[in-house]
Amino acid sequence: MAAYALSTRGLTKRFPGVLALDGVDFGVRPGEVHALIGENGAGKSTLIKVLTGVYAPDEGEVLHGGEPVSFGTPLAAQRAGISTIYQEVNLVPLMSVARNLFLGREPRGRLGLIDFARMHRESERTLREYGVHTDVRRPLGELGVGAQQMVALARAVSVDARVVVMDEPTSSLEPREVETLFGVIRRLRADGVAVVYVSHRLDELYEVCDAVTVLRDGRVVHTGPLKGLERLKLVSLMLGREIGEVRAEGTTKFGGDHEAASAEPVLKAEGLRVPHQLHGVSFAVRPGEVLGLGGLLGSGRTETAKAVAGALTPSAGRVTVAGSPVRTGSPGAAVRAGISLLPEDRKSEGVVPGLSVRENIALAVLPRLSRAGLVSEARIDALVRTFMDRLRIKASSPHQKAGELSGGNQQKVLLARWLATEPRVLLLDEPTRGIDVGAKAEVQRLVDELAADGLGVLLISSDLEELIEGSDRVVVLRDGAVVGELTGDDVTEDRLMEAIAAAAEEEPVTEVPAASVPATSEDEGAPDVTPEGGGSPAGQLTPHDGESAAPDPLSAPQERKETPHG
Amino acid sequence: MQQVARRLTAAALLAALALATGCAKSEDDADSSKAGSGDGGGQVAAEPTKGAETCTAGRYGAKKLDLKKATVGFSQSEKEANPFRIAETASIKAEAKKRGVKLLTANAQSQFSKQISDVQDLISKGADLLVIAPLNSDGWEPVLKQAAAKKIPIVTVDRQINATACKDYVSFIGSDFVEQGRRAADRMIKATGGKGEVAVLLGAPGNNVTTERTKGFRDRVKQKAPGLKIVFQQTGEFAREKGQQVTEQLIQSKPDIDGIYAENDEMGLGAVNALKSAGKKAGVVKIVTVDGTRKAVQGVVDDWIHGVIESNPRFGPLAFSTLDDFTQGKKVGQSIVIKDGAYTPANAERDLSKAF
Amino acid sequence: MAEATALTRTAPDRSAVYAWLQAYGVYAGVAVLLLFNVAFTDHFLSAENFRTQAVQVAPILIVALGMALAIGSEGIDLSVGSVMALSTSLVALYLGWGPWTALAAAVLGGVAVGLVNGSLIAFVGVQPIVATLALMVGGRGLALVLVPQLEDVRDPGMRNLGSGDLLGVPYPVLVTVALVVLVAFTVRRTTFGRQLLAIGDSRPAARLAGLPVRRVLLCVYAASGVLAAVAGFLATARLQASDPTSLGTLMELSAITAVVVGGTPLSGGRVRIGGTVAGAVLIQLLTATLIKHDLPPSWTQIAQAVVIVLAVYAARERGKR
Repeated sequence: MAAYALSTRGLTKRFPGVLALDGVDFGVRPGEVHALIGENGAGKSTLIKVLTGVYAPDEGEVLHGGEPVSFGTPLAAQRAGISTIYQEVNLVPLMSVARNLFLGREPRGRLGLIDFARMHRESERTLREYGVHTDVRRPLGELGVGAQQMVALARAVSVDARVVVMDEPTSSLEPREVETLFGVIRRLRADGVAVVYVSHRLDELYEVCDAVTVLRDGRVVHTGPLKGLERLKLVSLMLGREIGEVRAEGTTKFGGDHEAASAEPVLKAEGLRVPHQLHGVSFAVRPGEVLGLGGLLGSGRTETAKAVAGALTPSAGRVTVAGSPVRTGSPGAAVRAGISLLPEDRKSEGVVPGLSVRENIALAVLPRLSRAGLVSEARIDALVRTFMDRLRIKASSPHQKAGELSGGNQQKVLLARWLATEPRVLLLDEPTRGIDVGAKAEVQRLVDELAADGLGVLLISSDLEELIEGSDRVVVLRDGAVVGELTGDDVTEDRLMEAIAAAAEEEPVTEVPAASVPATSEDEGAPDVTPEGGGSPAGQLTPHDGESAAPDPLSAPQERKETPHG
Repeated sequence: MQQVARRLTAAALLAALALATGCAKSEDDADSSKAGSGDGGGQVAAEPTKGAETCTAGRYGAKKLDLKKATVGFSQSEKEANPFRIAETASIKAEAKKRGVKLLTANAQSQFSKQISDVQDLISKGADLLVIAPLNSDGWEPVLKQAAAKKIPIVTVDRQINATACKDYVSFIGSDFVEQGRRAADRMIKATGGKGEVAVLLGAPGNNVTTERTKGFRDRVKQKAPGLKIVFQQTGEFAREKGQQVTEQLIQSKPDIDGIYAENDEMGLGAVNALKSAGKKAGVVKIVTVDGTRKAVQGVVDDWIHGVIESNPRFGPLAFSTLDDFTQGKKVGQSIVIKDGAYTPANAERDLSKAF
Repeated sequence: MAEATALTRTAPDRSAVYAWLQAYGVYAGVAVLLLFNVAFTDHFLSAENFRTQAVQVAPILIVALGMALAIGSEGIDLSVGSVMALSTSLVALYLGWGPWTALAAAVLGGVAVGLVNGSLIAFVGVQPIVATLALMVGGRGLALVLVPQLEDVRDPGMRNLGSGDLLGVPYPVLVTVALVVLVAFTVRRTTFGRQLLAIGDSRPAARLAGLPVRRVLLCVYAASGVLAAVAGFLATARLQASDPTSLGTLMELSAITAVVVGGTPLSGGRVRIGGTVAGAVLIQLLTATLIKHDLPPSWTQIAQAVVIVLAVYAARERGKR
């Protein structure tokens, strides 16, 4: 077997109170795509950061081409041929696409000036290989997130990398873009580049990876070829649980149906309208019921939740909680009425990263825990203790910053914040996205329990399985309007897909208020095929054939929300 | 004015804050301190500058006219927010009234672009002669051109402009700041007996007044009293607060300082504040200041300040006599230095009314 | 106001140093300057001298307290210097009714400016730097309209406030200490303080958590206005004159420097009152040292710039979250 392109020996990294890496031996060979997996907090990110020179190890060493190296900075690692693609794009949004692609190695013409013509020409050619067809002179920030990720990828690969580290590269990509990415990865492999691939999505791993290393609690618990490794085995390795246990509990932690008593609805939304986004959405949630909100990406699910929670101001419609109307457009009023929203964008709209876990949990109930504007520390402590225990929030102490927690624990902190307000309705927007399997199960079990306690729950999830297993009833949205509802035995993946598909077929006659549709009929049902250079909006990707066969129908590409139209 | 401001702000404060505390009793609270008015008895005499360049209407190319029937335009640079500007404007106005000349005035509020348009405005309103207190030295070409086209004589006061005398303008009337510094040094030498240590409170950095008043003082001290040492030079930015703060630091680190030269009255008054609150007795530290505001002269009367060198703001009589001579075809100096007085313990009480 | 965790979890050794510098560098700076002065400055170790420094730092510190709140809410208040000018004008106008009436007028003026700032920011959505810039320019203009030139303070009560003391502690210093305690308590122990930090750290998250974002922002700028007004009032008493032309000029810069040097990040979400006090003291000592040693005045500005750069440099590492 070929020698390792990049490897580590006995790598240990400590942070105050945490042993992030504990004697890790890891290696990736040229021409190998090596999956690095583990629950959140297992040490993947730390390992990557040590590999790419962001952190210095406390013990052990990094070997590059067999030689011990110590990259003081990410730049040094990059110079040595190690490129990294992070979850979040870190390029310069205000600079042009081409400038970003060539940043720091611009082609020079005479007099040492940047040869823009050449740079633009080469950029266009390079990006086309990545399925990005766009005017490279436009600022990068105008592109969709997926296209930006592609630019980052193209940049990372084009600097003559011998090792490419990808940290959840697909988290913001469309299925079509994922395919392009896989194409690039396969090409890299053929060129003898070593690829370290970090992802939560098992399907992807089996599709592109050759080998796998599983980390748990900072230690390597398994390393070897991926082929022949049973999926369930992999999950059990990550979780550190027995296969039988995993199998018995299924992949989600939702229990059976709830007694959706014929009680009066605890939450009623009637005719919610938000210009360009919602066109009259109505639904009702009864106490003890989990109502799923189905639909494709951009069908208005998040907007519906936000409009109910007051984060979006509807132009029409009303929201009532247990019969009493709630002032719309005010999160404060919604919270007081007992509506809680776990937002999709947990990082920027959910936790307050710089505040401690304790402050985050107490945030929404501060007035209730205060007298004459003075907070009672004792009461906060009691509350925080209760919820940290109940939700099993893992933090070094209640005073740890919430931003330092893993995604799953952040989500639990948010849940704790809301449960402390004793809500009547819980709106969950992608509650398990981006969190590890263990925490996911816990969150799912919790939602079940809460519903059983009589809360009304609205669940939004792009994970079909989660939506189906978690919901008692599913309302299907399309283009900001309700187009169907599944109840009882109809709540199955097949029926949901049918409902969405049926809705999609009806699409041409879907009543969309004429006023909100631009004159040039924006046929959202079909992928956006924009002629090149035709004043098209931000970075369109070439549509592939067989669109409908995209692996995940919930994030089919027709609803590129981040693409500003017109 | 104060009464109105007080009422307006009261209304605004109360209304804006919706604090119904009831309307305050509107009793007449006339402040005893009236801002220095220009009618103080400051007559001005030109110091004949021997051998200096002169100018005549013939050389300048101005038409002859009778000043009594002419219209004079006066453009003030800064808003009348300090005693100097107030006295300067008042003096011009008083002299115009005395001579029965029609006067147009404008104030640039410290904006140079406004001053340019002010002057153009004065010209178009029919000013036959212009008196300008320039905000800047540069940037006057458009105005000068316009004035030249109409053959309007210009006299600049207190600050010079970068242009040719007797061609672009007739003459400049101003103070000799270096001389003020020298005279301050003379007073300081006299007060301290030419021995000991003194501190200087500098004006705003980069200002020509600061530079010149410093130069005059330093040179004269060096030349006449080598025993007198300047041991401390810090800026008070021409402001009382800064003067006070710097002096507070000074008297902590050099408690035995013998004298303080403040380059304007305000900083000197700040120094007095600092000395008072440090428990010093009047007259122990000799303070010499420049300007001649009423408050500073009062300080001389009270023995806190040893001497005030006047920087005469009353350009009115000199400006108008210059214009009068010029329009009658007589020779006038291209650069006329206004005579500055001085206030010492000997004359302060008597001349207090002359201070501005 | 969390004394920041000196050690960050993700920080390798080098950035732990930065973190330490950011959290405690300002205290080290104060200590160094004190030691330097004790060793090299004549008559430094005297009660009189400490009184002088304390009295001079009082207005800077009071203004910086309000600035710390504004910065903690991820904003900034550039209008503080002008509020001081407005305050001194209002004092001149209302002193005829006694110092307390004058103080009330000044404080109400500060509230009014603060409410305008806060409304522009919270309701209209103007950037704090722009909204407060408008009042920075307009506030001093208004102050000069009200009182066009320096006016002496004759009221004996007011003069006593500026120069008198209680058991040897000057009144302005007493007021400052009280305000420091009050603001620290507010940040630490009140709902308002907690909400302010949450809003400063992540406004969308705070809004979605149902916090009264607008009300809090309104209060932040009102508080900053009041503090600046009190500073203006004290400075007027100290100067024994109302001087809207020069009072409070460049105060916003001193205050921002004190806050930033004290370790409060400009990105909001944290307010360090202890650091702010030390920051203000550091600026004061720096100025005093340079003046006492009769170094050219321009050096003071350069020295301040160096301190700011150092503070920002130390903050840089931690800013990258």
